[in-house]
Amino acid sequence: MADILAVRDVRKTFGDVRAVDGVSFTVRKGTITGLLGRNGAGKTTTIRMITGIFLPDSGSIEWLGDEDGVAFRDRIGYLPEERGLYKQMKVWEHLVFLAEIKGKARREMKKRVDFWLERFELTDKRESKVEELSKGNQQKVQLIGTLLHDPDLIILDEPQSGLDPVNQKVVRNLLIDLRQQGKTILLSTHMMGEAEKMADEIVLIHRGQVVLQGGLDDVRTSFGKNTLHLAFEGDGEFLSALPQVKHAAIVNNSAEISLADGADPQEILAASMPRLRIQRFELAVPSLESIFIEKVGDVAATEVHQ
Amino acid sequence: MNKLFAVLKREYLQAVRKKAFIIMTLIFPVLMFAAMVLPALLIGKGMGQKRIAVLDGTGALRSAYSKPNAPPTPEEAKKDARDALQGKRNMPRNLSQLDIDYVDMSGQDVKTAAKSYIDRLRHNDRNAQLDGVYVIPGDAIDNEKSELSYYSRSATDLISQDRLGRMTNKEMQRLRLSRNGIDANTIDRLTRDVPTSGIQVSKSGEQTKGGEQNFFLAFILAALVVLPSFIYGNDIMRGIVQEKSDRIVEVLVSSLKPFQLLSGKILGTASVGLTQITVWLSMMGIVGGFFGAVASSAGMNVSQFLRPMVYVYFYLFFVLAFLTYVCVYAIGGAICNSEKEAQQFIAPITLVMMVPWFLMFPIIMNPDSKLAVAFSMSPVWGPMTMFVRSVVSEPPLWQLAVSIAVTIATILFFFWVTGKIFRVGILSYGKRPTIPQLWRWMKVA
Repeated sequence: MADILAVRDVRKTFGDVRAVDGVSFTVRKGTITGLLGRNGAGKTTTIRMITGIFLPDSGSIEWLGDEDGVAFRDRIGYLPEERGLYKQMKVWEHLVFLAEIKGKARREMKKRVDFWLERFELTDKRESKVEELSKGNQQKVQLIGTLLHDPDLIILDEPQSGLDPVNQKVVRNLLIDLRQQGKTILLSTHMMGEAEKMADEIVLIHRGQVVLQGGLDDVRTSFGKNTLHLAFEGDGEFLSALPQVKHAAIVNNSAEISLADGADPQEILAASMPRLRIQRFELAVPSLESIFIEKVGDVAATEVHQ
Repeated sequence: MNKLFAVLKREYLQAVRKKAFIIMTLIFPVLMFAAMVLPALLIGKGMGQKRIAVLDGTGALRSAYSKPNAPPTPEEAKKDARDALQGKRNMPRNLSQLDIDYVDMSGQDVKTAAKSYIDRLRHNDRNAQLDGVYVIPGDAIDNEKSELSYYSRSATDLISQDRLGRMTNKEMQRLRLSRNGIDANTIDRLTRDVPTSGIQVSKSGEQTKGGEQNFFLAFILAALVVLPSFIYGNDIMRGIVQEKSDRIVEVLVSSLKPFQLLSGKILGTASVGLTQITVWLSMMGIVGGFFGAVASSAGMNVSQFLRPMVYVYFYLFFVLAFLTYVCVYAIGGAICNSEKEAQQFIAPITLVMMVPWFLMFPIIMNPDSKLAVAFSMSPVWGPMTMFVRSVVSEPPLWQLAVSIAVTIATILFFFWVTGKIFRVGILSYGKRPTIPQLWRWMKVA
């Protein structure tokens, strides 16, 4: 599939802070691309440059999709991390307004508003004022506002933050649905688990720079089968001190272990046998989370240092 | 362009549907009218009855105070009203009622005798009400250096003082004349007052002046031209601050150019203002038309206030003033993060912008003075001043042209600056920027 958007060596500095420092990546049409990174890594600034809110200090952002006379920023649907709506407006009026400022005609939009309200079970809230809606429903309204003008590229900044697991799943299914309809999605998130369930491609940003990018499967296999999943009975704390272990995430009676370069997993098994009752021993491709930690460092650990 | 219109339409509909707008539109003219008319009524009624002791040392002036309180006959009342409307007379005849106690003190020492009255005045005894003491020394008629004195509790009771002075002097003049052998009829003939009527000379012809009605009208019109700008300027500022605090702004800026957003907002709000003043002007036109019909049946000329050009100027200068002021408020909204902060930022600026309003009195009185001419052709202050000048006078065409050109240039400049600051400021949630930072924003954007 062809690329729809190219971000080329984009930089943005605020005062002394280099928020984005030479970021390049492309977004392929019809995929979900996960823009990953910790808080403050430069995801939101990158997105704001793509959506035209900030101009980059240098570098360029190019639209590579179809040219049919519609300005490229009108083809983008953008859900910012900081949500907000006009509280005094009626739901349907607000939605029509959001589509109008994307260049759509009012008449065309009214039907689509009804379609989306029904899909999100908000039909009875059509005439309500935004401020009368629950917070969850306001989020749904804003999500509709992102999709209403039928954008080719949907950019979502932390769409699942603040949602309960049920609604996280609703959003996830919606995004997968949209991809099936041929839409392209750029999804910024720090929730690796969610990204892993949806993303086709990932772009990992750290301190304003891309540290890793590619297809999710490619990235994972390129790390090789260097991850060991262990399930056991007993106290596994000693595992992280073994020389063959680069990093160990130990939760209750299981551990995800990143192997040190050239380490033989059998040695870990041997070291564990006398101290633990092993129930599962599996060599696998690493999870996105452990890739993330390997590239970027332990979030908790580095944040304590800072 | 459609996007700009979408913003304009949203701003307009949101504002016009508010109850506050409807109430304001209907109530404001009533309030304005009340604010103008009530003081006049209060001056007339509020003074009420004044009890004044006239201590006449000459003993010859009783007749001067014989009929001060007789209510005007219907004929007189009609004439008074007509005179007032034609600018011949400043105050209605029966403005306050003077209840005069005439005390003949011929042959006594008036100054000593006055003391007990002045004491009574000072102690303000409820049972023996006294609001003023007017002292006429025995030599008042003949001694050139003699002086009449009016004692009152308030320092500002000038109207009673003036009236008493006129009544007394007129009578004394009569006395002096008659002592020189001139008979009463001749005196009346010789000392009669001739009224003065004011006539405004302009290129479009000569017209009878409207007197203080014209003055009030200029004042009301000036208020109607500028007050909406300040009210809606505040609205725009609040709206922008709210868009920032409600985090709508990011979606807006990702869909619209800051210029589209800014112009849409300003033009939308301007349309609200235009709607409002159109209602106000129609109300005024209807009331004025009715008043005019009544007035012209009484032989008066009111067409001067209601000449079509006043409406043209009104709309023209309303739009110019509006766009000038509102830009400033939009900047306030863009760089501040809370309404309170924005108010503090804008308050001193508003004061500076309002300068012509504080000088409205001298400007209306002397529309062609250097001050007024300079103000009317300066940026920011131009629209308000030039409008008032064109209502009460006929400024030369070149001055009008300069004023309009300067204002349009100012507006374009403000739009440009506002657009730049808006672009950066609208997304900055942190601290309010300093002036050097603002300067950087302008260069960055």
